[in-house]
Amino acid sequence: MRPVAIVGAGMIPFGRRDDDNLMDMLAYASLNALDDAGLGDKGVNAVYVANMGAGMLNHQMSVASALVDRLSLQPAAAESIENGPASGGSAIKNGLLAVASGYYDLVLVVGGEKMRDVSGWRATDFVASMTHPTAEYIYGITLPGMAGMFTRLYMQKYGVTREHLVQVAIKNQEMGALNPYAHVESRITHEGIVDSWHSRVNNPPVADPLRLYDVCPVSDGAAAVILAPLDLAKQFKKTPIVIAGFGQATDTHSLQEREDPTDLKAVTLAAQQAFEMAKMKPSDIHVAELHDAFTILEIAESEHVGFFKKGEGAKALEQGKTKFGGQIPINVSGGLKARGHPVGATGVAQVVDIVWQLRHELPKDRQVQNAVNGLTVNFGGFGNNVLSFVLRRGEK
Amino acid sequence: MKKKIEIVAFKCKKCGKLHFPFHDRCLACKSREFDQVAPQGNAKLITFSQIFNLPWGFDNRFLFVGVAEFENGVKAMGQIAANAPEELKLGMTLKPTWDVVRVISGENVYGLKFEPM
Repeated sequence: MRPVAIVGAGMIPFGRRDDDNLMDMLAYASLNALDDAGLGDKGVNAVYVANMGAGMLNHQMSVASALVDRLSLQPAAAESIENGPASGGSAIKNGLLAVASGYYDLVLVVGGEKMRDVSGWRATDFVASMTHPTAEYIYGITLPGMAGMFTRLYMQKYGVTREHLVQVAIKNQEMGALNPYAHVESRITHEGIVDSWHSRVNNPPVADPLRLYDVCPVSDGAAAVILAPLDLAKQFKKTPIVIAGFGQATDTHSLQEREDPTDLKAVTLAAQQAFEMAKMKPSDIHVAELHDAFTILEIAESEHVGFFKKGEGAKALEQGKTKFGGQIPINVSGGLKARGHPVGATGVAQVVDIVWQLRHELPKDRQVQNAVNGLTVNFGGFGNNVLSFVLRRGEK
Repeated sequence: MKKKIEIVAFKCKKCGKLHFPFHDRCLACKSREFDQVAPQGNAKLITFSQIFNLPWGFDNRFLFVGVAEFENGVKAMGQIAANAPEELKLGMTLKPTWDVVRVISGENVYGLKFEPM
């Protein structure tokens, strides 16, 4: 297996993109990544497209073949990869393995989702279709509902409070307001979402104990990276970012079958594998993008990847350890909470954000000083399929 | 009219691990042979959520959905008859019933509905 680097990265602003269809978004993000790599009119060997729901949401299938045609990348190999909200991480993993094996030299990985084509009602049902069809889905469970059940148990076991969840929401929207690619561009205040008379209107319950500002938005968006062997990476114009490690693990489909439903085993295993491959430990990481589809997940994942002991993530948050400028800044992009969560795009977008951090390309108010190593966690289903990547700044 | 509870759990013949829903191989020992076990008695509430933003197909303003453990160890999700979270407490006893939980493509879908006792 040869080392693989990210030599190009691109994204388009997430949000409600009424003027673009799925293929437009995939094409724009891909072109941004191709241009970032300085590939000009050159081609790639293979294209991996991460997408969860084009068939259900946009009435389009075989999106990878369509994208190759749109970008005139023929005869590149192409396939679509569906792995729920972890589709982006899965597509990067497949691209990574293809380059690491020596079979391909240049791979485009792009993730995208066009979710705002359908009503919120339909989008909620689409995401809920990931749950077990006869043991969960029939009851009207939603992913926020799963997160609500998880949150209730986590609060009981570890003393996490509503106030902790509010702190995650405020922190990530504060950072999202600085990110031109974020879906949610507004800051929120404690008074605006807690304890004031207007907070009842601003921040209604969604899936008790979770409220509106605990939940990521439903977004349109796309992000892309170009992968190449590290020994060829110097031919490209930007500082290469090495994929130093990756991990992937699964867990039971139904939450009730887990010995301890508060234990996100797949997150722990995926991160451990990524650290082991990278020959690093959690304390070597300078910046992380965790899958905060719900505020509780940022706290829980910060413990499960090993930044903090179990039950100490909320305390670390209180002490400012996870904010920009803290011991381990988490979700400097705004995370899913503010950048948004176009499900197929998220795993790729997390990696793009870390690439920008490790290249030291971001404006001062978002750039983690001297960041060399970064971590991502892309969380599929309700933790039943998780990918993690450790990225390292390479030599130019 | 409420009906008999129709779910069954699956107890591994080799190691005794209880599964619900069905797996082709035991989660613990990977054996492929199971005895069917009906959930028995009342159930204890493990966790729940009051869900407001419901998926397509529901007209309710909200739904309570939770996970409960029957007296013989079978754990299952179901809807809960409640109007406010304050009515429920983790660990409380629920009476299981079998009723329509959803309508999909015009067909009634039956499932577990728990009633607080």
